[in-house]
Amino acid sequence: MAVNGIIEIHNLSFFRGNRAIFKDIDVSIAAGKITVIMGPSGTGKTTLLRLIGGQLQPHRGEVQLFGENIAQLNRKQLNQLRGRMGVLFQSGALFTDLTVFENVAFPLREHTQLNDMQLHDRVLLKLEAVGLRGARDLMPSHLSGGMARRVALARAVALEPEIILYDEPFAGQDPIAMAVLQRLIKDLNDEMRLTSVLVSHDIAEACAIADRIILLGEGRVLAHDTPEALQTSTDPAVRQFMHGEADGVIPFHFPAPPLAEELLCDHASVADNRGGLQ
Amino acid sequence: MINLVSALGGQLLQRLALLGQALLMLLQSLRVLPGKHGLSRLIQQLYVVGVQSLIIMLVSALFIGMVLGLQGYTLLSAYGSEQAVGQMVALTLVRELSPVVAALLFAGRAGSALTAEIGLMKATEQLASLEMFGVDPLHRIVAPRFLAGLICLPLLVAIFSLVGIYGGHIVAVDWLGVYSGSYWGNMQQAVDFGEDVINGMIKALVFAFVVSWIALYQGYSCVPTSQGISAATTRTVVYSSLAILGFDFILTALMFGGA
Amino acid sequence: MHKRWIEISVGLMLVAGVVALLSLALQVSGGHLTRSADRYPIDALFENAAGLAPKAQVTLAGVTVGEVVAVVIDPQTLMAKVKMQINGEVNYLSIDSSASILTAGLLGEKYVGLTVGAEDEVLVAGDMIEDTQSALVLEELIGQFLLNLGDSN
Repeated sequence: MAVNGIIEIHNLSFFRGNRAIFKDIDVSIAAGKITVIMGPSGTGKTTLLRLIGGQLQPHRGEVQLFGENIAQLNRKQLNQLRGRMGVLFQSGALFTDLTVFENVAFPLREHTQLNDMQLHDRVLLKLEAVGLRGARDLMPSHLSGGMARRVALARAVALEPEIILYDEPFAGQDPIAMAVLQRLIKDLNDEMRLTSVLVSHDIAEACAIADRIILLGEGRVLAHDTPEALQTSTDPAVRQFMHGEADGVIPFHFPAPPLAEELLCDHASVADNRGGLQ
Repeated sequence: MINLVSALGGQLLQRLALLGQALLMLLQSLRVLPGKHGLSRLIQQLYVVGVQSLIIMLVSALFIGMVLGLQGYTLLSAYGSEQAVGQMVALTLVRELSPVVAALLFAGRAGSALTAEIGLMKATEQLASLEMFGVDPLHRIVAPRFLAGLICLPLLVAIFSLVGIYGGHIVAVDWLGVYSGSYWGNMQQAVDFGEDVINGMIKALVFAFVVSWIALYQGYSCVPTSQGISAATTRTVVYSSLAILGFDFILTALMFGGA
Repeated sequence: MHKRWIEISVGLMLVAGVVALLSLALQVSGGHLTRSADRYPIDALFENAAGLAPKAQVTLAGVTVGEVVAVVIDPQTLMAKVKMQINGEVNYLSIDSSASILTAGLLGEKYVGLTVGAEDEVLVAGDMIEDTQSALVLEELIGQFLLNLGDSN
């Protein structure tokens, strides 16, 4: 496969214990687009983000960012690469002991040599972009969930990254906050020529802003296409997820032996389960 | 039988692996020297770990000293040697009670707070977020807290001993009428700076090391949920207390056992 | 403002800790800042140094003037050699001074008592006190007492 995406994942496998989260998946994410990773809960959407950010190492296969295999980078090179990438964590992950201003200034202080004046202007511009310039002296504990996420967004884009990863940006937001965030993400993507990667399970929001959707399920990529194509897809698993149907091919049960087998098993093994070291 | 052996072996290996992890965390956090804002972060932690534990230390020390004075006086006056109460209070405090009680209080006050704080940082993805900004959380979060613990506890122990000795003075001299000169005089003859005070300080340093290490490791490795954090906080207090008492016996045997 | 208070209180705590350690050194252990700096060694040979231990006081007329640093056996004479450190300002112990091992109270600690003689020449570092009186051993004392009792009868 030719390297054309800004993020390339080849033959990646990842395990939690003995359970395979991903089995040999290939993903290519194009530059300048908004890509949404979707899938039922527990399919490893957030794990995939962490693999892209280099916080987890794949057990097999490789992750390439800007054409470089991140497993082969040393710590310094990886940190340099991370400077070109912003992450918006699910909870916002603001540093609770710093003010809003200092939170946004944090990556600038770590990665740039800006003097205080430049830093001040840059932080205020970023806060203005998310509409929270007035909240600069508040502590994160005084912010609502939506505001905290907007501050985190300002912090994530403070270094003017080329890629930005969003972990469940819409989870637990009221409709207005959701719409605000949605517009911010779209505007940022267009104005700063970012590549945005979102993790979400909110179909409506995702379809509204996504250029491409990657649908994960059962450790595989079920589909990777435009929202329109997915909504009209005839693939049963894709249909089930996109239309939110309870019954379908995506299993509702955690992997287990057949029910009849467990109910009819001899009672000796139940006794075994109850006592002993196991 | 084979199952039992392999289960025990597995447990043992698991424990060893945990110890190894904890050691690696410690070494990695101390590998890098403090950066440009290192000092101000250290001061911040000295405040949290030290100054905020000061009140509980002072109050406990005063009461423990007073109890020692009272008990010592009752015990010694039966032999007509109540002048030796100063010696008894000072030696008990300096050698044993100050390091042990201060370390136990430190584990309860500062250790549990450290575990909960770091556990919460982990749960709210602040540690992951630091990592994504290219900042090593071990270096930024763990190292200054460890250093602060190491600096604070010996100082708190010294303060504890002194306040306790004055607490004993209040009871024995001011209330029960022991002559002040013999309170201090006997004490000065009996207490040796090198043997008693310095050994007490060495104990304090060892306890500070152990408690800070346990607290930070438990926080750093906890399961980032509310149950996980509360379990880790409990483990910090329990493990720290056991470690303090165990190490106290070993250190006492090494320091005072031979003589 | 808040940051300032943190810095000040941390500073206060550090100072308090160091002051506490200093007063533990000075007031509680009765140490002097000029300890062991200005002292000179003197030895003494005793028939029997039973109960005398390092750090025991050395007194002159009841005033502490030094301390015992070691009690060892002298291989030539097979007597107990007591090594002492005498404070520098006590530079008037005559060469014929005598030393005896005494007991504080009935069952108290052993200490060394010095008595100055008549000579003008004084003891200097490394000298040996010849005129000594050994420790009283309670069992020997009682034995002697019983013997005398038997004799007088």
